[in-house]
Amino acid sequence: MHKIWLIIKREYLTKVRKKTFIISTILFPLLYLALIVGSGYLTARSGKQMKLAVIDSSGFFNKEKIAAENARDSSNILTLVNINPETLKMNLDKSGYDGFIVIPASANWETGPTKLTLQTDRTLGMESITAIQKKMNDIWTLVKNEKLGIDEPKRKIIETNILTVSPVNIKDKNANSGIASVIGTVSAILIYIILLLYGSQVMMGVMEEKTSRIAEVIVSSVKPFQLMLGKIVGIGLVAFTQILLWVSFILIIYNISFAGNANAMSGIVGGVQSVFTATNIPQTLFFFIFYLMGGFFFYSSLFAAMGSAVNEDMREAQSLSFPLMMPIIFSMVMMTAVLKDPTGPLAVWGSIIPFSSPIIMMVRIPFGIPGTVPWWQLGLSMTLLVAGFIFTTWFAGKIYRTGILMYGKKPSWKEMMKWAFRKN
Amino acid sequence: MPILELQNLKKYFATQKAVDDISLSVERGQIFGLLGPNGAGKTTLIRMITGIFYPDEGQIMLDGKKFDPIKDVGYIGYMPEERGLYKKMKIGEQTMYLAQLKGLSKNDALTKIKQWFIRFEMESWWNKKVEDLSKGMSQKLQFVITVLHNPKLIILDEPFSGLDPVNSNLIKDEIFNLAQNGSTIIFSTHRMEQVEEICDHIALVNKGKKILDGTVKQIKQDFKENLFSIGTEKMPSLNGTAPYEVVGSKAHSHIVRIKENNKPNDVLQYLLRHDTTINSFNEILPSLNDIFIKLVEGTPTARQFQKV
Repeated sequence: MHKIWLIIKREYLTKVRKKTFIISTILFPLLYLALIVGSGYLTARSGKQMKLAVIDSSGFFNKEKIAAENARDSSNILTLVNINPETLKMNLDKSGYDGFIVIPASANWETGPTKLTLQTDRTLGMESITAIQKKMNDIWTLVKNEKLGIDEPKRKIIETNILTVSPVNIKDKNANSGIASVIGTVSAILIYIILLLYGSQVMMGVMEEKTSRIAEVIVSSVKPFQLMLGKIVGIGLVAFTQILLWVSFILIIYNISFAGNANAMSGIVGGVQSVFTATNIPQTLFFFIFYLMGGFFFYSSLFAAMGSAVNEDMREAQSLSFPLMMPIIFSMVMMTAVLKDPTGPLAVWGSIIPFSSPIIMMVRIPFGIPGTVPWWQLGLSMTLLVAGFIFTTWFAGKIYRTGILMYGKKPSWKEMMKWAFRKN
Repeated sequence: MPILELQNLKKYFATQKAVDDISLSVERGQIFGLLGPNGAGKTTLIRMITGIFYPDEGQIMLDGKKFDPIKDVGYIGYMPEERGLYKKMKIGEQTMYLAQLKGLSKNDALTKIKQWFIRFEMESWWNKKVEDLSKGMSQKLQFVITVLHNPKLIILDEPFSGLDPVNSNLIKDEIFNLAQNGSTIIFSTHRMEQVEEICDHIALVNKGKKILDGTVKQIKQDFKENLFSIGTEKMPSLNGTAPYEVVGSKAHSHIVRIKENNKPNDVLQYLLRHDTTINSFNEILPSLNDIFIKLVEGTPTARQFQKV
C-alpha cells in the first residue's frame, strides 16, 4: 500500500506541475469569462439605433401612433415622412435615414396580409428585422383597434388575458427541461473531454515507461498491477483536481459578475441563477463526480493496457486507441437524441451500458430522479459501471503485465486476449 | 549456505523454452558471472530472480528461504541491460522516488543518495533532468540507483556498456568494494575479458540450459589442452621418446602440447637433456573467450523458434 501511494504521489505531482496542466486549468475559465463578457458586450453593441423613414400612401399611419410606439421601443426610430420614394432612394446616404418603408395605397386593414419592403443600404440581421416588423405590427394593431372600435379596456383584455402551458413533472416538481438540457450537455462535454484527454494521458504515460525501459526497474520493486493502478489513480486525481478548479473558478466568476450585476450580464447571470434554483445541485454534482471517475477508471485501465502493447511507434498507439475512442465519441453523437427524448430506449440502454453510461447518464440525470431516471435504472447503471471498471482493471492488468516487458513486434488482438485470459 | 539457490527453474514462452531446467547456486560475497550468447535465456533467468517473472516450475531460495518477490524486494538491486529512467524528471527527485520504492524511508534515502552522489562526484546533478545527461553519466546514475539500498544481492546486466575506461574502472572498483562488504553480485555479460578480470565463479547458459558452471580457475583447468609456450632459440629435433609435440612455432617461442601421462617436468628434462637454452616456460590456459566459443559454436547464432 505504501508503494502504491508513492507511485500515485509521483504521478500526481509531476502531472500537476506540468505547464500544460497549469495552462489548461487557467485557460478554460478564461474562455468561459470571455464568453460571458464577450457576449454581453456584443449584445450591448448591436443595439445601435436604426433610423427609418415611413412613407405612407394609405393614410392609416399618423404621427401620434408612431410617436407612441417609438416611446415604447427605442431600438429603432420611425419617422413619418412625405417624400417621393424614388428621391429618397437616390439620396439615402445624405438623408440621415438607414432605410425606408413604403406603405402602399392598396393596404387594407380588413383583408391582409400586406407585404412591405424595407429598403436599406445594408444587410440587416434577423434580430433587427424582427424588431422592426414587430413595431410596424404594433402600430398596425393600433390602427385595426381603432377601426374595430376596441377601446383601451377591451384591448387590455385581448392582450393580457392569455393562456400559458408549462410542463410540471409530477414525480419531480423542480425539473426544468431547458435548464436540464444545458446541465446535461455541459456535464457530458466535460466528461467527454476528461475521458479523451486523461485517457490518452494514461496511455502516453504507460508508453513512456515502457519505451524508456524504466518499467523494468520499477517492476523489480513493485507489482506491475500496482504500477498500473498507481498511474491510473494518480492521473485520475489530476483530472479530479482540474474539474474541481474549473468548477470553483466558474462559481467565483459567477459570484463576481452577480455582485457587479452589470446590465449586459444580468441576463446570463439570471439564467445561471435559475439553474441553481431549478436543479438539485448537490445531487447532480455527486452523480457527475461518480460518472466522471467511474468512466475514467473504466476507460483509462483499457488505455493503459493498449499503451503497454505499443512499441515506440506513435502510429501503433493510434490504431490501438482508436477502438477505445470510438464508444466515447459515439456517446457524444447519441447525446443529441437523448436530449430530445431522455426516456426513450436509446437513452435508457445508453445510460445502462458502461461504455456509454458515463456520458449518457449524465445527460439524463439533470432531467430528474426518479422522474426521468427511475431508481432501478440508476442503480443498475451504477452497479454495472463499478463492475465494469473492476473488470477492465483486472483485464487490463493482465495485458499490461505481459505487454510492459514485451518488446518487438506489435501484438495482435488475439495475442492480447491470450495474455488476458492466461492463468496466473 | 549459498545466498541464492535456483532449483530446476523452468520458464516456457509460447514459442520458446526460455529457461529449461536450470539449477545454480551463488555463494555469499561471490562475483558471479552469468554468461551466454544472445537469446540464451539470461534475461528471463534474471527476471525470475528479480521477481518480475514467476517461474513455471522450480524454486528460488534466497538466503535459505523461499524467495518472496514482494517481501524480498529490498534485498535485491537490479540494473537491467536496457537502462531506464524518467527523462523529464529531476535526478534528485527520481533517485529519491526509486529508493523509496525499494523500501527506504525518506531520510535514509536522502542520506544514502548524498553519500553516493559525493562518492561519484555527482552532487551538481541533483536539479538536472535525465535528458541532460550523457549516456555514460546516466549509466553511472543507474548504477547508484541499483546499489543505493544496500542490497544483499546485486544483479547487473551488462554494467559497462557505453562507459569510458575511467568510469568503467570506477564502477569496477565499486563492484569489488561491494563484494568485499558482503554483497553478492551476479553479473551478466558476453564480454569475456571483463568476466576473467572480475568474476570468481561463472555459469554458461545456452538455449535455456546451463552448460557450464564453476570457478574461473577450475574451468580453465578443465578446458586446458596441456599447451605450453617455450621461449627458446632452437627446439631440439623430435624423436619418438619426446614427451610433447609442437603445435606452433614463432621466431623465439614455440607452442607444444604435452602428451598424455607426461608432466611439464618431463618436457623440461627432455629439453635440458638436449642442451636447449630455455628463456621461458609458461602454461597456456585457454581464455574464457575460447571456451565460450568452443561450447557455443555449432549452435545456430540466432535462436530458432520451437514448439514447446
